[in-house]
Amino acid sequence: MSGFWLILQKDLYAEFRRPESVIGMVFFGFLLLVILNLAIPLGSEISPETGAGILWVTITVSSILGLSRTMSRERENRCMDGLLLSPVSVEALFAAKMAVNVVLVLLAECSIIPLFFILYGDGFFTSLPMLVLVVVLANVGFAAIGTLFSAITAGTSRNEALLPLLFYPLVIPLISITVKVTSMIFQGAAVADYSSWLYVMIAYGCIFTGLGFLLLDHVVGE
Amino acid sequence: MLIKKDQMVLIVAALLFGVAIYTVFVYAPTELVMGPIQKIFYFHLSSALVAFLSFFTAFVSGILYLIRKDLKWDVIGVASVEIGLVFTTLVLITGVLWGRPVWNTWWTWDPRLTTSLILWFIYASYFILRSSVERQDTRAVFCAVLAIVGFVDVPIVFLSARLWRTIHPVVIRAGSIDMAPEMVTTLLVSLGTFTLLWALLLYQRTRTLTLACRVQNFERQLDGEVL
Amino acid sequence: MSDFLTVKNLFKEYEGYRALRGVTFGLAKGDFLSLFGPNGAGKSTLLGIISTLVSPTSGQIEIKGFDLTEEPEQFKKQLGVISHHSLLYDHMTALENLVFYASLYKLKDPEKTAVELLRVVELYPRRHSRVGQFSRGMRQRLSVARALVNDPSLLLLDEPYSGLDQDAAAMLTEQLAELKSKERTVIVVTHNLDHGLNSATKVGILAAGRLVFMEARNRVDRALLEAEYLRHVQGDGEA
Repeated sequence: MSGFWLILQKDLYAEFRRPESVIGMVFFGFLLLVILNLAIPLGSEISPETGAGILWVTITVSSILGLSRTMSRERENRCMDGLLLSPVSVEALFAAKMAVNVVLVLLAECSIIPLFFILYGDGFFTSLPMLVLVVVLANVGFAAIGTLFSAITAGTSRNEALLPLLFYPLVIPLISITVKVTSMIFQGAAVADYSSWLYVMIAYGCIFTGLGFLLLDHVVGE
Repeated sequence: MLIKKDQMVLIVAALLFGVAIYTVFVYAPTELVMGPIQKIFYFHLSSALVAFLSFFTAFVSGILYLIRKDLKWDVIGVASVEIGLVFTTLVLITGVLWGRPVWNTWWTWDPRLTTSLILWFIYASYFILRSSVERQDTRAVFCAVLAIVGFVDVPIVFLSARLWRTIHPVVIRAGSIDMAPEMVTTLLVSLGTFTLLWALLLYQRTRTLTLACRVQNFERQLDGEVL
Repeated sequence: MSDFLTVKNLFKEYEGYRALRGVTFGLAKGDFLSLFGPNGAGKSTLLGIISTLVSPTSGQIEIKGFDLTEEPEQFKKQLGVISHHSLLYDHMTALENLVFYASLYKLKDPEKTAVELLRVVELYPRRHSRVGQFSRGMRQRLSVARALVNDPSLLLLDEPYSGLDQDAAAMLTEQLAELKSKERTVIVVTHNLDHGLNSATKVGILAAGRLVFMEARNRVDRALLEAEYLRHVQGDGEA
């Protein structure tokens, strides 16, 4: 078995045994869905744009809890040194940690998104395959930046508190594109109308995954 | 009398600034629709150019640091981001001052202003990151990574900024399409002046930071010998 | 004969401070080097560089002819490291920890290796307990086992005795003696002369980034070593 699978398996198994990341994200996400409801005037219907905005603010804000955990997990007892001492490549390490992030955030979304439809109306629920596609593309982008920067913040004195400050400015473009596409899906727009934005999301994921592969070596090498 | 080279550049820059201010307020004609407030445009765009130059420099020195591991590039990187952040702030302030009388609102989610704002956040976080790491070499690596990722983000930020809600139908195209020849000249003078100012600031700031770094290292070495 | 490990002209500089100023030495297979030096002499930096976790400013290291920068993977396979951090996952059991690390080295039967090592460090009955519940001594024993999963030919130990109670320290000494009998090459870094001398075949003193003294164990007695130490480390009372 390669280093990638071993690390992925180890982290998912740890999460399975004590699902602190996923439970944290879902709980916080649920809380945010309730809090954000305050912004909507009493008894009024929300527009697809507002709905998409609420959904993605909830997901991005709650997912930071999971993203910051993946690298700081290796911080206790300096387990990161153990990984770096082994012949596993840093690229495999990045790929594994990024995959862990994608999977954990996806698991949290499996609860947060249904909760969103329950609380804000299932009128938005139009196309499941497209929604899944957007969610996966967004997750890849978040996970790429989240993995690289949680490795950075794990090496600083402020640790996890620093991640949101570095993470959100960089992912704002991805969030705004995702909200746009989601709102069009909520409106039931034709795929052709927003397919160009989907390509931008794919490009975003590819670019930052590539940068992560290139840069993680420098970040953990210190 | 002996004048050092950098002092000479400073004097030239100061003189050029006088020229730039003169062309903006006296030489360039007043815009018909917007009136005198349009004159802020020359420095607004020049600040944006300087900010972009700075972030590009930070990007390049970030890459060079990761390849060479020479702290010189870290110092140039910090100096660039500092200057870039100051000029992005100027872009935002002049944008707000311009928008108030023209669109009757302080802020509009215009793509270019939104882009500047997001860039401001990215590069402001650079300093938060910097203050959270003690060791010089680790700090340099982390900051280089942020400068690289941040700059790669710029085109995507601009692309996505078009999606932000625009409460005003007016787009900042005015001025850049039908510009009188005098306006073009004025703009070029401003851009040139600001570029010189940028080079001067970068040089001075890099020198100051390098000296500060050396002083710090000497202090450390002294401490080390006492130990 | 010093063709097993060669360290050539190692320099490490950071923050304008030279932690290592040209360290050169060689070790033969089966050598047991005890390296002494006060805090800040560069001991941990030297060990960090040999263990691949810290990159040198300049210099060259080879184990069995594998160069650190040219064949890092082969180089890493030769290494075992014991530091004051356990490098163990608290939420996993002792067995899971060892199987995970053994698998990272692509061993044929990681499970078998893990069980054997657990027997060696006498933790086999506790193999299904989480490491988080272990006492400090037990963790130390397990981290010794962790360092041995890949059957390393070079073992690096950084202040292994710090914070150990007497029983655990005795056990560690026993294990080190065992390693010596198996012809493993060992480098121990410490500032405690007593522990360091126990099974050493070579002793060295590192001061201010330089290897100022290096001699075979049987040619030095404690008094000489102490005198050398004090000569190079003026006014430092830690010896």
